[in-house]
Amino acid sequence: MSIEELLREAHTLPRQEKFRLVQELISELADEVGITAGEYPIWSPYEAYDAAATLLRLLEEEKAEAV
Amino acid sequence: MIGAIRLPFVPLDPTQRDASLMPLLPLRLARGELQAAVSGILDTGAAVNVLPYSIGEQLGLSWEQQRTSVVLSGNLSQIQARGVLLSATVGSFPPVQLAFAWAQTDNVPLILGQANFFLEFDVCFYRSQSNFEVKPKSV
Repeated sequence: MSIEELLREAHTLPRQEKFRLVQELISELADEVGITAGEYPIWSPYEAYDAAATLLRLLEEEKAEAV
Repeated sequence: MIGAIRLPFVPLDPTQRDASLMPLLPLRLARGELQAAVSGILDTGAAVNVLPYSIGEQLGLSWEQQRTSVVLSGNLSQIQARGVLLSATVGSFPPVQLAFAWAQTDNVPLILGQANFFLEFDVCFYRSQSNFEVKPKSV
């Protein structure tokens, strides 16, 4: 399978499986170059703009109800 | 800043005091009669405020009754979250309404982010002096 075919297939995967694919590849690359693989959680919702829009809408709805 | 309160950065790792200094803001969250004294990390890169699950429980929130689903990002993208509104009081400033993504986990700090903590408060960081100032937004 060529890289183009592989990428086409990868784009059709569900979100969770895309994460898994990326994690597997990064882990393999890290092993190859001798970096200790592991999970380094970053608990910060960067670029969660949809979430921000949802919360701002919630605040607007609450304000409208209060009027 | 006129009328601002100045607070110190707090070391989160006692073994690496200077390297782990973070801007933690003490505040009181309230929902009806229920209150919780908490500390939130001021995270200017966070798009939203995030509330750990157990604090929501302390404030009497019921997961089943929260209908607004919020999709988070990064490590939090695999965790379900609901949008909730709480009253928040910082120091002696008047209470404001903050919207939180209430995460279904306690493996996350209480995060104060752009929507909507930084829409309600003006913050100035003086990291070189290990402190920061907070005041309500200018009207």
